[in-house]
Amino acid sequence: MRRPSRRSFLAGIGAAGAVGTAGCLGFELQSGNREPPLVENRPDGVYYPTHTEGMLMGGMASDGGYSCALTYSYPHRFWTITGSDTTQVEVGSDDALHLMPFVWHSETGVVPSDVNPSVEVTRDGESVVSGLNPWAMLSQNMGFHFGDNVELPEQGEYDVTVTVGEGSSRRTGSLAEAGSAEFEFTIDYQRSELQEVPFTDIPEAKQGSLGAVKPMEMDMVPIRQAPAVEDLPGTSHGRTESGDAVMAVQRLDDAARFEAGEDQQYLAVSPRTPYNRFPLPLMSLSATLSRDGETVFDDYLYEWLDPDLGVHYGAVVDGVASGDELTISVGTPPAVSRHEGYETAFRNMPDATLTL
Amino acid sequence: MSDSHGIDRREFVKSAVAIGGAAALSACLNRGPEIDVPRGPEEPDAAFPARQHAWNEFLPTTDEGNNHHPRHRVLLPLDYGEGTPTDAEREAVETALAGVERAYERSAAGLLLTVSYSPYYFDRFDADLPESVDLPEPRALASFENPNPDDPDAIVHLASDYGEVVMGAEETLKGEIDELNGVSQPDAALTDAFSIRERRTGFIGDGLPAENQDVDGVPDDGPVPEDAPLYMGFESAYEGNQPTEDRVTIQEGPFAGGTTQQLSTLTLNLNQWYEQDTRKQRVAKMFCPHHANNDVVEDAGENLGTDPRMDDCADPMDSARSDGVVGHGQKMVDVREDDAPIILRRDFDSTDQGRAGVHFLSLQREIADFVTTREAMNGEEVDRNSAVGQRTNNGILQYINTVRRGNFLVPPRSLRALPPANPEAAEDAEVAHA
Repeated sequence: MRRPSRRSFLAGIGAAGAVGTAGCLGFELQSGNREPPLVENRPDGVYYPTHTEGMLMGGMASDGGYSCALTYSYPHRFWTITGSDTTQVEVGSDDALHLMPFVWHSETGVVPSDVNPSVEVTRDGESVVSGLNPWAMLSQNMGFHFGDNVELPEQGEYDVTVTVGEGSSRRTGSLAEAGSAEFEFTIDYQRSELQEVPFTDIPEAKQGSLGAVKPMEMDMVPIRQAPAVEDLPGTSHGRTESGDAVMAVQRLDDAARFEAGEDQQYLAVSPRTPYNRFPLPLMSLSATLSRDGETVFDDYLYEWLDPDLGVHYGAVVDGVASGDELTISVGTPPAVSRHEGYETAFRNMPDATLTL
Repeated sequence: MSDSHGIDRREFVKSAVAIGGAAALSACLNRGPEIDVPRGPEEPDAAFPARQHAWNEFLPTTDEGNNHHPRHRVLLPLDYGEGTPTDAEREAVETALAGVERAYERSAAGLLLTVSYSPYYFDRFDADLPESVDLPEPRALASFENPNPDDPDAIVHLASDYGEVVMGAEETLKGEIDELNGVSQPDAALTDAFSIRERRTGFIGDGLPAENQDVDGVPDDGPVPEDAPLYMGFESAYEGNQPTEDRVTIQEGPFAGGTTQQLSTLTLNLNQWYEQDTRKQRVAKMFCPHHANNDVVEDAGENLGTDPRMDDCADPMDSARSDGVVGHGQKMVDVREDDAPIILRRDFDSTDQGRAGVHFLSLQREIADFVTTREAMNGEEVDRNSAVGQRTNNGILQYINTVRRGNFLVPPRSLRALPPANPEAAEDAEVAHA
C-alpha cells in the first residue's frame, strides 16, 4: 500500500536561513516563549497585534503538484475555533517551536484548504512526533497556512516528513491534478538560533487599533493573497462585508468547470481579510438571490479551489440580473485557527447583502 | 496483604504484560498471592461454543449495562512460512490451544481467545476462499492515510481481566510452561507450526489509560481522566452502540459460525486533544455538537447508560454547516442497521513502542462492513460540502494516525487450527482420493 518512496528534491535554499520581516529586535527572547500580554480591549475586528515575528526556513521542496516550505519560529499563542467559539492556546512548558509546513500548489500558488498536511518528526530514526495534523491557520504576516507548537526533547537535528493526501473533487484546472505529496526536511533546532529570529514590537499606540501588519516577503515562497477584485475573472458585482471580512461577488457566464454547463451562470463569492486580502477558507456560506421580491436562488455555496478565483464559494444560478438582491449567510465562520490580531475578527458574521 | 501491597502488585502486573516473557510472568507470580482463576473444562471442545468469537455470554455486564471488556490483551502475530500445513501441525496447534483452555475457564477473569488467519495465509492454497467469506487484502481507507499492510499469517488474541492469565497463556502457547494454573500442559505449542513475529499488548477499562499515560502522544501533565476506559477520555463501546454477535457472524458456507476481524494499528496524538481543545470541543468532536451544547456527557460518559443518545444529534451535514464541527459518533448513525452498528468493537489501547496507540480490533460479517463504517468516519460528504475540514473538526480524525491495517478470518472453532482455504473443496478432494 505504501507508495514507493518519492524522495522530494530540496530546492536551493540554505537550511535555517533567517527570512521574513526585517526590523530591530524588540527584546531578546530567553526561554523562547516570552510573549507580551495581549492588547487590552481588543476590537471585534482585525487589529494590530503586540508584535510580529520572523521565522526560520528548514528548507523547501516540491513533489507532485505541491511545494512545501518548512518554516518555524519560537512557540507562540494562538486561538483554535469551533463554530464561532475560540479557545486561546497557551504555549506549553515543553513546546520547542512553532512548526509551519507552508504548502502551496506549485503552479497556481493556491494554499489548499481541502487537505490537512500530516507531520512526522524523527531523530536518529526514532519517532519524536508522530501523526501530528497541524491546524489550518491564519496569520497577518503569512496568511492561510498550517501550523502548531511542537515539543522536542533536546536541541539538535530532526528529520521532518510532511505528507499531503488527495484533495477533494471541488477543484478546477491544474489544481484537480495535484495528487498527493511527501516532503522530507532536516531542521537543526538550536535555541540560540531561535532567539535571533526577528521579534519586532509594534508601537504601543498602534497595538490594538484597526489594521494589520503587512504580509511577509519571502524568497521563493509565495504568500498567496486573494486576487484583487479587478483581477477576478468574470463580471464584478461589487463587494459586501460581514464580521470584518470583505466579500467580492463575481458572475461567470460559463460554469463548465464547476460541474455545470458552459451556458450556465456561476455565482462566486470570494471572502478575504481586509488590508492584506488573504483568502478566508473553510467557511459554510449560503446565498439567496431575489428578483422583484421573488426568490430565484436559495442554496448553499460550495467551497472550490480555482486557479483564477483561488479559494472561493460558489453555485450555479439560473441567471443573474442587474438589480437582484443578494444575501450571503454565514453558517460557520472560517474554521481556521487564528494568530494574534485575527482572533476577534471573522467570528460573528451577520448576513451580508448586496444589490447586484 | 495490605492494600498498598495490592496496588503495587497491580501496577507491576500492568507493566509486566507490556514487557512480557517468562521472566516477567514469574516475577509477577512471585510478587504476591497467586490469583484464583477457576480451571477450564476437561474437554473444551465439548463445552465451548462453535464460535470462537462468542465472548459476550461469558462476560459480565457493567453497572451501566454494557458488556465488560477484558482488561488485559496480548496479540501474537504468527508466521507459518512456506508450503501448506500438515495434519501433524494442525493437531499440534489445536492441542496447544485446548491446553490453555483447560487451564483457565472461559470468562473475563479467565481466558478468552481467538485465532484468526490473513488473506496472505490463504494464498498458499490452490483453492480460493469460498464466496461466503469476504476477506480482501487490506488497503488504505482514506485519501489521507498510507498504512502498511498487517501481513502475518495468523494472529492469536488473548484477553483476560488478569495480566497473569494472558501472560501465562502466551508463555504456554509458546511451549515455555509445562503446568498452567495447576493443569498439566500438552507437549505441543504454536511454535510447532508457526514462528512468532512479535507481540502486541494493550488494555482497556477504567483507570488503565490514566495509569499508562506516560508515553509519547499524551501530554506530560497527565491529562487522561483517572476513571476513563480509553485514552481519549470517553466510554465508547456502549451496548446500544454494539451489534449482536449474530450480526457479525458468517451465516453460510464452510466457515459459517466464523467472522472476519479487522485490525488497525493506530497511533494517537493527544497533545492537541488535551492541551488545545476544550472539553466542549472534545465532546462535540467525539459525540456531536448537540451533546456539547447541552452538557449531555458527564465525565467519561457513564451517565449515558447503555445509549450514547445519537438520535438527539442533528444530521451531520446540518451540524457541519451550522456548528462547524461534526461528531465521530454522529457520523456513524447512518451506517446503523436495526438501530445498531454493523461492526462489533473489541478494540483496546496500547503503549507498544512507547507510544499511545489503539489496536482497533473489530468483528464483522464481511470486511466490507468495516469499510462502509470507516468510510462513514471519513466524513467525506461533510468535508466536501461544508466548513468541516478533511480532518479538522471532522470527528476525531485529527488525532488518529493509521499505521497499519490488516484483515483476518476468525474461523469457527472446528477450523481454528490452520484451516484450508476451502474446507468443502478439501473434503471433496479427500473423498475423491479415498
